[in-house]
Amino acid sequence: MNEPDSGGRRELRPSPVRRGGRALARKTRWGKLLEQRTLLLMSVPFVLWLIVFRYVPLWGWLIAFQHYRPGKRLLQQEWVGFDHFKFLFQDESFYLVMRNTLAMSLINLTLGFATAIMLAIMLNELRSAFFKRTVQTISYLPHFISWVVASSMIVNALSTDTSGIVNGLLLKVGLIREPILWLAEGKYFWGILGISEVWKNLGWNTIIYLAAITTIDPAQYEAAEIDGANRWQRMLYVTLPGLKPVIVILLILNLGNLLESGFEPQYLLGNGLTADYSENLDLFVLKYGIAMGNFSFATAAGMFKTVISVVLLFGANHIARKLGQPRLF
Amino acid sequence: MKIRTRSYMPFAMALVLASLLAGCAKDGGDSAPASDSAQAEASKPVTFTYFNAAVAGKDGNTNETVLGKLLEEQTGVNFKIEHLVGDLNTKLGVMVASGEYPDVVVPDSGIDKMLDAKAFIPLNDLIDRYAPNLKKLYAPYWDQMPSEDGNIYIIPFAASHGFVPDMYQPGAFYIQRGVLKEFGYPKVKTLDEYFDLIKRYKEKHPQINGGDTIGFETLTDDWRFFTLTNPAPNLNGLPNEGEVYVDKDTHLAYATGDKPFMKRWIRKLNEVNSQGLLDKESLVAKYDQYIAKLSTGRVLGFFDYGWQIIPAMQNLAQAGNDDRQFIGFPLVFDQGTKDQYLDPPTFATNRGIGITTSAKDPVRIIQYFDNMVKEENQKLLFWGEKGKTYEVGENGRFFRTEAQIKQAASPEFLQSYGFAYYSYYWPMGAGLYEDGNAYFPDRQPEVVEQSYTEGDKTILEAYGLKVFTDVYSPPETRKWYPVWSANKQQGSPEQVFEQKKTDLQRKAFPRLILASPDQFDAMWDEYVAAFNKLNVKSYENWANGVVQDRLDGKKR
Repeated sequence: MNEPDSGGRRELRPSPVRRGGRALARKTRWGKLLEQRTLLLMSVPFVLWLIVFRYVPLWGWLIAFQHYRPGKRLLQQEWVGFDHFKFLFQDESFYLVMRNTLAMSLINLTLGFATAIMLAIMLNELRSAFFKRTVQTISYLPHFISWVVASSMIVNALSTDTSGIVNGLLLKVGLIREPILWLAEGKYFWGILGISEVWKNLGWNTIIYLAAITTIDPAQYEAAEIDGANRWQRMLYVTLPGLKPVIVILLILNLGNLLESGFEPQYLLGNGLTADYSENLDLFVLKYGIAMGNFSFATAAGMFKTVISVVLLFGANHIARKLGQPRLF
Repeated sequence: MKIRTRSYMPFAMALVLASLLAGCAKDGGDSAPASDSAQAEASKPVTFTYFNAAVAGKDGNTNETVLGKLLEEQTGVNFKIEHLVGDLNTKLGVMVASGEYPDVVVPDSGIDKMLDAKAFIPLNDLIDRYAPNLKKLYAPYWDQMPSEDGNIYIIPFAASHGFVPDMYQPGAFYIQRGVLKEFGYPKVKTLDEYFDLIKRYKEKHPQINGGDTIGFETLTDDWRFFTLTNPAPNLNGLPNEGEVYVDKDTHLAYATGDKPFMKRWIRKLNEVNSQGLLDKESLVAKYDQYIAKLSTGRVLGFFDYGWQIIPAMQNLAQAGNDDRQFIGFPLVFDQGTKDQYLDPPTFATNRGIGITTSAKDPVRIIQYFDNMVKEENQKLLFWGEKGKTYEVGENGRFFRTEAQIKQAASPEFLQSYGFAYYSYYWPMGAGLYEDGNAYFPDRQPEVVEQSYTEGDKTILEAYGLKVFTDVYSPPETRKWYPVWSANKQQGSPEQVFEQKKTDLQRKAFPRLILASPDQFDAMWDEYVAAFNKLNVKSYENWANGVVQDRLDGKKR
């Protein structure tokens, strides 16, 4: 238990079992599990919850192959095979919807990553802890506003009326001569969505990266400084590589969620004029599935999403392994 | 220093597991004794549960209100009222999936779900044996109430006797009173006259209340999209029947989406937009922004329904400037067309109240319903107690004093007295009582006239009206009306058609309106081509089926 100090920090290592058990070799898998049995026991309720609420209901996927009408028992329902999947894939708007979903997801992903990492690195370079904390607090406040309120704020900001600050600003600066009706142009929708998502989630996403940066060994910075690296180079060659494991893991997780491009912002900010760009898979399923009580169709679409997400997740993880990067599993 | 994790770890674990198990434990089901002989237990106090999925409201017991208590004294029955919180489809879905329902449910738009799941019990026998008053009240509509299998599952609301117009204006083209005043209160009958007035006023007054004057405002937000599309049949002298209109003579239904009157209406909007009279933002704005804009007093005209603009009208009334308030007219395209904005008297069979399969004592419940529809109880539930919430004049006409009107406007009073619970969503009549008084105070001319301001009276006088709804022509009888209330199966082709048609119009109409006038015809033809690709014929056939069935007296 009394380890020698290394670089001024104490490393904690699990100590071998002393009381009430044999001293098992730490090398075998079972040995390790037994050692960490208290931790394992702590996780039991959550694993149970996971199994009961996330895995057991999977048998309900049967509904996707039926024409499900509530009131009759599950096995008495009418079986329709792949009809719902056919409706999903053959609907002429399906490919448009998929395109929108993927586009919005990728935009959010790239923008979200890039901005969060940049802000984290910049915040890290700050000397004044007070300023750092203030900026952090202000930046993650929008995360807690619900999308309903946030969309109301955004719609007002983009208004062509006197209350629209975006148009007001652009007019004053002289970039435009007439106010632009932003929410009427489909082409602008992805941009508006991206910026809104960044505004809303930037501060929150930065938290993880800031935390990851603090785990980077300060000795590395000192060594780099001694070797003559300036601020930029320290950022590029120490901070970013130090963040790499976190970035890759989060990237893998988010790629698995690629089809989850969000529901509320598209529902609240979209309208008839931007429908070709704003309608994503969730909205499509809402309109033709849940709103019509067509649970089977909604389940079929959900199945489709899950299958694709799992493929993406495993794929991303596999690529990470091949590239020698840290990975999820 | 080694923290003694071992000593309280197992304890913490046990706590977590115990709370998990406690959360999973099922509540023991309440078993209430069923009453065997109704007569013996007729006045034994009992409480039933009532779920209202139609509106939000304060939950509570009816016997905590004055009216509820009076009814409880008569029948011994109390209802525990629960309102919907959150999403209707989700809540009903959970009820259906579990098979456990409150005793009485008002399913609102979820009625199809509940009927599909066979959640309600047939009421035919119960009404025949225990509810003679109910049967008498609903006699004119008796043959419309059963479902296809001959059973009555739902008692619709408002069995009307006699016609009284809705005091909240049904749809109208509203225009600011200041505009009419400026030009000497001209008669406004056609759409062109209306826009001409707006144009002239806007030229004279480019700014109001510190902001730009807006000529015409519309609303396209989400499910309120009908605000943009409904004027078209109305302007053509047809009542609003949703996706179709029905020819009065041939009784055939046609989809409205591509008809000449729809083109004419959208073209007019396009023209108005090119003149700078239309607020472009109204094509993308949300409902809150719409109401906010209306409340600023800068909008000269719009089309809407009285119930949809209540917040804005209240704001303007509070602001106090009568010129900025509105009056509505039923406009038509051409002089001489009879307006049919008023809905013909109907009996909406697709909304109602039902007794569920979980009800422990349906006989008591039916007896309660029967008791509440007796005429003196109906007067009690809607007017209140004579001398307390209303007065009777020498000719037997009911009226309310100013103090009573004020009292009835306070939400706290409505809740504590019981009006909030009993004003709708129960078996009830509507229209007129046998003595000629209106069923509801807000449709009794004597009461409505009391609430008019000076400004209201001035403008009514200028146009020779007694009440605002006098501008409308009385509705013609259409026995099948309205097609939109027919039950549609979940996921049926009719529902899919409606959704796709709405999607198409939501994309096409704003574009058509914003386009430059010379491109309009070409773009309209594109829209019609896309419209015809949808399953229009099958929808029209379905609508024809509904009309025929209703004309034959069958319920649809």
